[in-house]
Amino acid sequence: MSEKSPSKKKLGFVGVVKRLVPIVVRATPVFFISFSVLAILHGVSWGFETMMQQRFFDAATVFAQGESTIRSVLVALAFLGGANILCQVLNGVVNFVPEVLGQKVIGRLSKGIHEKMARLDPKCFEDTDVLDDINKALQGQNNALWFVFMLCAIFTFYVPYFIFMGWYLFTLKPILVISIVIIFIPAFLTQIVRTKVFAKLEDKSAPKRREFDYYESCIVSREYFKETRLLGGYKYFKKLYLDTLDTLQKLKFQATLKTNLLELLMSFLTVLGFSTIFLMLFDAVMKGEITVGAFAAVTNSIGLLYSIMEEVVCRHAGQMAQSMGSITNYLNFLDLEERQGKVQEVPQLGDVVLEGVSFKYPGSEKYAVKDVSFTLKHGETLAIVGENGSGKSTLIRLLTGIYLPDEGRVTIGGVDTRDLPLDALYRNTSAVFQKYQRYLMTLEDNITISDAKKTFDDLALDDACRKAGVDSNGRSFPEGYKTMLSREFDGVDLSGGQWQRVAIARGFFRDHQLIILDEPTAAIDPYEETRVYNRFAEISKDKTAVIVTHRLGSVKLADRIVVLKDGKVVQVGTHDELIARSGEYHRLYKSQEKWYVEDAEKKKMTEELADSSNLQPSFA
Amino acid sequence: MEASLVQNRKYKFYDFVLTPLKVSPILTLIKIFNQVLLSLIPALRILVTADFIDTAMKIFSGEAARVEIYRPLVYFMLFIAYANLNNHLMNFVNLKLEMNLNRAYRSQIAEKRAKLEYRHIEDNDTWDLISRTCQDPVGRILGGFNNLLSAAGIVIQVFSILSVLVAQVPWAGVTIVLISVPLFALAIKGGKATYKASVEAEKHMRRANYLQSLLQSRENVEERALFGYVDSVNEKWLGKYEESRIINTKVRLKYFIRMKGSSLITVFLSIAITGVLLAPLSQGIITVGMFMGLVIGTLNLIQMMSWQLAWTMSELARNREYLKDLTKFSELSETDGALELPVDKNSVVFENIEFRNVSFKYPGTDRYILKNFNLRLEKDLHYAFVGINGAGKTTVTKLLTGLYDNYEGEILLNGRELRTYSQAELKALFAVVYQDFAKYYIPLKDNIALGNVLNFNDQEVQQVASIIGLDEEVKDLPMGYDTPLGKIIEGGVDLSGGQWQKVAIARALYNPAQIRILDEPTAALDPVAESNIYEMFGRISKGKSTIFITHRLGAAKLADQIIVIDDGQVKEQGTHDELLKLGGIYAEMFEAQRSWYK
Repeated sequence: MSEKSPSKKKLGFVGVVKRLVPIVVRATPVFFISFSVLAILHGVSWGFETMMQQRFFDAATVFAQGESTIRSVLVALAFLGGANILCQVLNGVVNFVPEVLGQKVIGRLSKGIHEKMARLDPKCFEDTDVLDDINKALQGQNNALWFVFMLCAIFTFYVPYFIFMGWYLFTLKPILVISIVIIFIPAFLTQIVRTKVFAKLEDKSAPKRREFDYYESCIVSREYFKETRLLGGYKYFKKLYLDTLDTLQKLKFQATLKTNLLELLMSFLTVLGFSTIFLMLFDAVMKGEITVGAFAAVTNSIGLLYSIMEEVVCRHAGQMAQSMGSITNYLNFLDLEERQGKVQEVPQLGDVVLEGVSFKYPGSEKYAVKDVSFTLKHGETLAIVGENGSGKSTLIRLLTGIYLPDEGRVTIGGVDTRDLPLDALYRNTSAVFQKYQRYLMTLEDNITISDAKKTFDDLALDDACRKAGVDSNGRSFPEGYKTMLSREFDGVDLSGGQWQRVAIARGFFRDHQLIILDEPTAAIDPYEETRVYNRFAEISKDKTAVIVTHRLGSVKLADRIVVLKDGKVVQVGTHDELIARSGEYHRLYKSQEKWYVEDAEKKKMTEELADSSNLQPSFA
Repeated sequence: MEASLVQNRKYKFYDFVLTPLKVSPILTLIKIFNQVLLSLIPALRILVTADFIDTAMKIFSGEAARVEIYRPLVYFMLFIAYANLNNHLMNFVNLKLEMNLNRAYRSQIAEKRAKLEYRHIEDNDTWDLISRTCQDPVGRILGGFNNLLSAAGIVIQVFSILSVLVAQVPWAGVTIVLISVPLFALAIKGGKATYKASVEAEKHMRRANYLQSLLQSRENVEERALFGYVDSVNEKWLGKYEESRIINTKVRLKYFIRMKGSSLITVFLSIAITGVLLAPLSQGIITVGMFMGLVIGTLNLIQMMSWQLAWTMSELARNREYLKDLTKFSELSETDGALELPVDKNSVVFENIEFRNVSFKYPGTDRYILKNFNLRLEKDLHYAFVGINGAGKTTVTKLLTGLYDNYEGEILLNGRELRTYSQAELKALFAVVYQDFAKYYIPLKDNIALGNVLNFNDQEVQQVASIIGLDEEVKDLPMGYDTPLGKIIEGGVDLSGGQWQKVAIARALYNPAQIRILDEPTAALDPVAESNIYEMFGRISKGKSTIFITHRLGAAKLADQIIVIDDGQVKEQGTHDELLKLGGIYAEMFEAQRSWYK
């Protein structure tokens, strides 16, 4: 029984870290350790480089004053060069490795997410909260990976770097250690400002941006193009477009004004801090406490100190804070309940019985299906009819077990659908759905996708195609079964009718005892329509079949008919039984039939008249 | 009058500067000036550092007064202040520039797109080009502009440092130039190669992304669950993903090697220069301060070369491709009068339409959809077009409404060639409800009133809505006729398929055009609603000519004339009874449908 998932749960920073780190580290332990080691070396190497700069300058000063040989300078230069090379190489490696290995890990983790998606209750996709978690799960997973890497980098790169620099400054003149703190404060404050203020402002402009993009699409997108042009609607939408743009610009301007003023303040603090450190160094060199070389080297490295601090506090910490949202989605997703089951085997032959079944879509007040009870006898063909919105599709999903009822139960061969795991449940069921999918794959894949585990040969494919009316050797399929069915991947386009046939072949291909045939509503011509009905008739011959009809023509194929209205079963019976009563069925059927049969009656009358006139003696 | 920014011509790199310049000359110049200044600072810092250190050393040895140190000190602080604070000014400049470009450039791009000949929209390759080029056009222009500024910045930085060096030690300049030029050339080549390889990797990724979408989308939940193909698709996905990943890794590896390679070369160069500078240092030709300044300057160059150069070059390559796309886009042909409003309904009166031996195939295809198509339509009559899919019915609509004009033969409207009529006139003549009619996410009353853009009248909207039975449903909407439809505007409500179809029909009813074409207008409606529409249609079609394209032959019966189109030609024409008696295609189709109701 699926429950409402706790997707509203908000995880704190610590909670997230506690859950994420094990997941990521477990996925790639070796890389993690080697990355950490390299990062520490890298961090230290930056500091080391500054130190070597100072040593070199000191040696150069002494040399310039004629107090040493060129050898000592060259040695210092070699060290400086070496430090730089080390820095650059490590920098490359430490940036390249996570990027590239990260991709590999993402692949592995994503595969896991996909598998989980399969085990979810299909009802989840109708729940907007859960859908949010599902849609953001993959993005959240990617963010989670970077989150953990960043966290690791903070401890293995940034912290060692600042510790090293702090120690180095301390050795020059103890008070200089304060520089690290001075650098930290503005960066930290800036980040606080950004998270508190900017995020709120971004929220306001997002819906306006969507509106702006939408009005633009009304003018230029394929969906609206010809209609907007013929209506002469350009001016109308252009006005909306420009008005929204103005509003959007105003919002952005206000937001930028606010944030920039605040950040200007922060920058003043930065300048202040910079100046303070500079003056401290100045004071120290004037007093002779540090060498001129040290002054030059340290001054040069302050800029680097600032940018690294800004990088970790503002950029990385900022990104980490921003990604919390989607990471929470990801963790929630991992916690989503899956459909389990107790029984493993589906009883082969059996009736499908619905007892007092009711179902409500998540977040909806109304019942989509209320208190439905009937039996689908094994081997019979049942038609389900009703107006749009009467609950036909929902009923089908309950019948096959795709949805589980909120009240009542559905049993297949005596086993409750709640007790069956998903794959056992569907093993003997196939379907041709109303909104059949057009997979951007080959013809062969489009057909065999319905039963991936079934081993097949060309004969099986031929059989399915024949029954569906797909001519795999025809002009439409230049490469036979290997023809790619989509322009996007350099294949061919099929017409609506052809796709319908492929969908029927797909449904046929899957081994089944029960098949659902959802009548297509898309506009197909009368020949195609007849062909589809005939195929349905053929398919449903020896199996249990449920036909969902929208146009009532195909009720002819059914043994019995179930009539739905507002989610309730109002009539059950054979066509003859139901047409005799003056109920919902009669109403629906007559509203269509009259367009065809009135005429037949007229025809009959004229024929009868003609016949009677033939009875006149020819010599009258 | 706004400068025309989207013209049919060859786009070059300077257009990245020209376009912002035309839109906001002052802001553009500020940006350029700022970049120049920022790029000169490193060289200036060398001079200031030298000054400072030399002065300091002179103070130590008693050759100068303490106060003299404040001069370089102040310069230093100024540089620090400028580097940190100019950010904020530039944020405003950038924002304002972006805003102005959105208003001027983006809207012109949208206008150009709206004017394009319809065949470009239906052609998949051209559509790809259009999508690519018009994806964030302002971002691309600014990106290109910033890219050029960045490249210029690198050149200025290198040259200014070089000049300082050469001023001190002339021969060093020559050596450096000799080595930097090939370095630059290599970077440019690298940029192009990186771009090409990433395009290749992207192709594979697209396939993987598609397979991934199959595994997580709401669209195919039913098939995914019932057919249980997750495992096999997952395997395929992983395969494609890995393929793409390996290509991408190779690309990135090459990129990193190039990047770090150039920075390592710069390291060696700097060390070499530094080593060579030791001689003049010991000879007193350059001061200690200048020596340190120069060393710092060249060392900092390494940092810049390592990331910025490679990045800037690969961006340049990407932007070059974009310019090619932009040029092709600007060359696309337009339709005259595409954006015009319809003329007043009284200025064009419909008498008749005649197709004379019209043959037509879609541009870029070989198959003729219409072959010697002949048909005459008179005013005030109700026609039904029937025929199997692909026979040409929708194509006839597209020709009549002026979407395509490359047909052979003649289409005469009131005796005059259709092609001589302006778009504005055609818009006033025809009202069309397409099979894939537009669902505008705007208020309900606007959705309907768009049928007559020259006259938005609330009362008439309500009248039309009640004819079609929408007024009942409007009562359930929170703001009645003002309710925004869809989820774009706040407080919007989504309608069901059937309700949307009624809105589309209402729009056509509100349209004063004399010829109404309805393509499968009842496909989304259930039997009872469908039946009601047919019955209603007789009432509302007085004084107009209508063409129904339909497969529901029960409805075709209502037509004054049924036109059977097959294989690009009119095969049968007549009333329902006449065609039944004829016993041809129509009779066959009708019987096929009817047999299901016997």
